[in-house]
Amino acid sequence: MTGTLDMIDKLLVDLKNVGGVMACAAASRDGLLIRSLMQKEQYVESLAAMSATMLGAAETATIHAEMGIPTRVIVESDIGKLIVEGAGPKALLILLANKDSGLGLILLELDRSSQKLKEILK
Amino acid sequence: MVETGIPKLDDYLNGGIPKGKSLVYYSQPGVEGEIFGLQTVYGTLNNGGTCVFVVSSTMPQIIKDQFKDFGWGINTLKDRLFFVDSYNPLIGAPSDEKYVISKPDNIECFNKTIIDIIKELPPSTIVFGSLSTIMDLCGEKETIEAVRNWNKLAMLHDHVLVYNFTAWPYSEQTLDLIKGNLFNSVITIGGIAERVIFGQYFGILKSDWAEISSKSMLFRVLRPGGIRIFIPKILVTGPFDAGKSTFVHALSTRAISVDRLGTTIAMDHGHIDYKGFSADIFGTPGQERFDPIIKLLSGESMGVFLVVDSTNPSDFVRAKHMLDITKSYGLPYVIVANKQDLPGALKPEEVREQFHLPDDVPVVPVVAKDKKGVYEAFEILIERITGGI
Ligand SMILES: Nc1nc2c(ncn2[C@@H]2O[C@H](COP(=O)(O)OP(=O)(O)OP(=O)(O)O)[C@@H](O)[C@H]2O)c(=O)[nH]1
Ligand SMILES: [Mg+2]
Repeated sequence: MTGTLDMIDKLLVDLKNVGGVMACAAASRDGLLIRSLMQKEQYVESLAAMSATMLGAAETATIHAEMGIPTRVIVESDIGKLIVEGAGPKALLILLANKDSGLGLILLELDRSSQKLKEILK
Repeated sequence: MVETGIPKLDDYLNGGIPKGKSLVYYSQPGVEGEIFGLQTVYGTLNNGGTCVFVVSSTMPQIIKDQFKDFGWGINTLKDRLFFVDSYNPLIGAPSDEKYVISKPDNIECFNKTIIDIIKELPPSTIVFGSLSTIMDLCGEKETIEAVRNWNKLAMLHDHVLVYNFTAWPYSEQTLDLIKGNLFNSVITIGGIAERVIFGQYFGILKSDWAEISSKSMLFRVLRPGGIRIFIPKILVTGPFDAGKSTFVHALSTRAISVDRLGTTIAMDHGHIDYKGFSADIFGTPGQERFDPIIKLLSGESMGVFLVVDSTNPSDFVRAKHMLDITKSYGLPYVIVANKQDLPGALKPEEVREQFHLPDDVPVVPVVAKDKKGVYEAFEILIERITGGI
């Protein structure tokens, strides 16, 4: 058990080190927090629950619209970006980036991290 | 009787540890097992008892700092807490503690001090911070012989002995003895990775004074706070407008809702820290058009509150259906008969009848708006989830 959590921690640290990333977390598709690297720990559990709902609702919507399964949800605000991306059938990754960061590299790294998380939880 | 101070564990042990008995907290490496002994020190002091803490793997000062992190003031209890310092001599540092083990790699040296304490002090709780460290320094066989002797003497002098032990790869014989007949009670502490719930649990492997329950409890360690029984997800569901969001907010230490025009369109989420329990609460929308979302929210729940408006029995069919949608069959659930303040509200027994509920399903009268009955409902559900006795 510690082994798996250590691996997830390492993955999150690597992801947070990408330029422009402010915080990140791993959660289950059911909205339970697994691990996080966030400033305000108190709210992470709610954020995990909300993010799972967003991705789940997006998936329900796209399937009904015959658009297949979404890769991720990106939410943009004046202050930053919130990205939720699936990581296999059980988990998802949540990432907060600042407003001015380019999404190219971040999404590339997020994709790689989500592949890794999927493998770790197999 | 000495309380362990660990939520739920004292209930399982019929109130705690009787005088003259020994107990070991047997941890897998890598989990937060040493906190159990520490919390038992606090449990003893908090109830007016005297406590001796044998420190082997760190400085006594660090233990005192940990007490502070947990928010347990020991300054006022200092005259009832004694340390046996076997760490400072090991690193060649001076010690200001009352009892010092001058040669921590010599079991005779332990024997002398511990036996003196057992004979001199009034009935106390003697907690070993790390039996495994003593074993590493003094040898497995030697340590076990000493422990066997201390346990017998403690029985004669009405002390309670508590040991933290980490199950490093010792000889099978040693581990079997520790899990077997060396102690009156064995509490196992381990880690699990069940699907995506990563957590730590404890359970009673053995206890010769209480009937043991095979249940294991998930726990979390909070600073401040200490050990809390952890319930990762409790679901709150029910028909439109029943008062689910109001209920989640009334119960939670902190909560948020995604509502628009007074109705929930995504979810409610709350966190509760109450009487040794730490739980996260997920509230669903009630309107049928959100049913696809409800399915997303309900996985991994450990229990369900089904909230109904007691003045509106026409919605009870929908309420039952929601147990179906959330796939809650087999989970413990409690009916929250809400809005008891309104004229015409059905009494809990009438709700049960209209619902055709079995007798063993609890129906709790609640006024969520005024926070009435919400904690009663919580305690009943928790009791069901943790299989209370
Ligand atoms: N009189 C009375 N009104 C209540 C009580 N609890 C909730 N209400 C009211 O009932 C209405 C619905 O409450 P909500 O908590 O939003 O209900 P809900 O079940 O979350 O509703 P949806 O999310 O739309 O399904 C609000 O106007 C509340 O003020 C109660 O105990 N008594
Ligand atoms: Mg609501």
